[in-house]
Amino acid sequence: MIKEITTQVKSTMSIFEARKDRLYGVLAEFSDPGDLYHAAEKVRDEGYRHFDVHSPFPIHGMDKAMGLGNSKVGYITLIGGLTGLATGILLQWWTGAVDYPLNISGKPFFAFEPSIPVIFELTILFAALGAVAGMFALNGLPRPYNPLFYSEKFHSVTDDGFFLHIAASDKKFEIIRTVEFLEGIGASYIEKIVDKSSED
Amino acid sequence: MSSKLRSSSPLTWLIDPFSPTEESARSDFRPGRGSLLWIVPTMIGIALLAVSAVGWSIDPGQFYFSYLVGWAFCLSIAVGALFFVLIQHLTKARWSVVVRRISESLMWTFPLLLVLSIPIILGMHDLFHWTHENLYDPADSHYDPILAGKRSYLNTPFFLVRMAVYFIVWCTLAYRLYSLSVREDLTGAVDIKAKQRKVSAIGLPLVAVTTAFGSYDFLMSVDPHWFSTIFGVYFFAASFWTVHALIALIAILLQRGVGLQKIVTAEHYQDLGKMMFGFTVFWAYIAFSQYMLIWYGNLPEETIWYRHRLEHGWEMHSAALLIAHFIIPFWVLVSRGAKRKKAILAFMAIWFLVMNWFDIHWIVMPVHAADHAAVHWLSLSCWLGLFGVVFGSVMYRLRRHSLVPQNDPYLSSSLAFTNS
Repeated sequence: MIKEITTQVKSTMSIFEARKDRLYGVLAEFSDPGDLYHAAEKVRDEGYRHFDVHSPFPIHGMDKAMGLGNSKVGYITLIGGLTGLATGILLQWWTGAVDYPLNISGKPFFAFEPSIPVIFELTILFAALGAVAGMFALNGLPRPYNPLFYSEKFHSVTDDGFFLHIAASDKKFEIIRTVEFLEGIGASYIEKIVDKSSED
Repeated sequence: MSSKLRSSSPLTWLIDPFSPTEESARSDFRPGRGSLLWIVPTMIGIALLAVSAVGWSIDPGQFYFSYLVGWAFCLSIAVGALFFVLIQHLTKARWSVVVRRISESLMWTFPLLLVLSIPIILGMHDLFHWTHENLYDPADSHYDPILAGKRSYLNTPFFLVRMAVYFIVWCTLAYRLYSLSVREDLTGAVDIKAKQRKVSAIGLPLVAVTTAFGSYDFLMSVDPHWFSTIFGVYFFAASFWTVHALIALIAILLQRGVGLQKIVTAEHYQDLGKMMFGFTVFWAYIAFSQYMLIWYGNLPEETIWYRHRLEHGWEMHSAALLIAHFIIPFWVLVSRGAKRKKAILAFMAIWFLVMNWFDIHWIVMPVHAADHAAVHWLSLSCWLGLFGVVFGSVMYRLRRHSLVPQNDPYLSSSLAFTNS
């Protein structure tokens, strides 16, 4: 049950698990960003969910083509901001009025007026950190190991290669039909990826 | 297609300086029927101003203060619209081209506002304590050394000169930007974009300074002992905050039959909503900056201003301002979905307009009625009367020209705009 959930969560971060026979998925290369974009749309429409695209630069509208929906980072940012807000109030009240009360020109030990800048800055700080951390987490980064690195061809992804990868963990994945499908939508090169790592 | 921009007759120049050009607009951008949209507000506005005139004969003091609140509200819209246009040109904004004609129409409110300022000039003696001559006579029992020290700035002739300068700057820039934009509709001349940017580059600092000083003169000097250097920014924040709401509201209204269908989309509404949200926070930031420094400095001549707004019922207004001007709009507009739904955005736009008026009312009215907080019916009739007339004139202008700057080189980018 828990393993099922973690697998699902990891797949939303594009971290897919290899099959029992170590098959990780199929990698397909496309000739240009436009082809990759339309290929992603077709893969989405075909019903695949565990797939990802790789290109040397961001492609505008790709999130829509992949059917990713809206980013959830905003909610994490909000939670970060509220945490910062609470931390700021607590910090100002506890240091000023509880732990070390000091009379400074007759001002109250704790009041919202002078505390707001601290509370505000902590809200912004935590929200910003939440946004960055959330972005990393939802993207499954940092990710030093990826079975796709076993492909020689895949090295060109940081230069001039446009790749689409359908994971073997997808419910619709079936090696022969998936390869045929990728050929049908115009892949110029197709490779089976086997996870050669010795973990598990 | 006639390619020359002609002035309108001197009678309508105040409302629209150009003769109609909507016939040369492409069919998608041509304003459709909907003359009720300008006739109804104008009629209601005139009726309410007539009612207010009756109020003047009963209680002139209250009338002048109420009128000033309503007039400053309309001024904040015009100033905000001028800032909006200047900034869109300077930043080469693409998203906003489809709503720019609405803001251009809003900014030609200045000439009408100059005419509508006559009651304020007539009521200066009631409105502005510093106009009283006996304050400056050392032998008089009302002698006020502080105001005597400010007299070289706060005196009637200089006030009128400054007011003239503000309106010359505002009207000139508004005319220049509006005429360039409407001329572009007709001729499509390629050098217009650069000219608009040039005018904006010169105009922005001028408008920034005149807006700040205008807010000192029209609003801050109502309580002449008090001073706050951030007050000009506060007025700018309120203006810019309101104008995004009003642009969204007008676009939504126009889409109910006049035009802009499929031109202004959820994407543009989301951007207007983002600006509304952002400037909600900006307004609160500036309002709080002003309050916190005065609280911390604790100087009697500064704190008295807040003292007046925290007693005799005005504390309820201050609390309402915090909750309804900041907290509620913040939480309503924080989500993406709310900004993209016309119904929610229209509701919030009206909310913003009411709260901007409430804000100016909170600045001005405690000077007149320090010991009993209330919203006098004259405040409502003057505000809605002036806004009705102004709003009617805006809708009238919009119907006389293409609804978008149809030859703007960025128009296609704006039409295709999406939030990623």
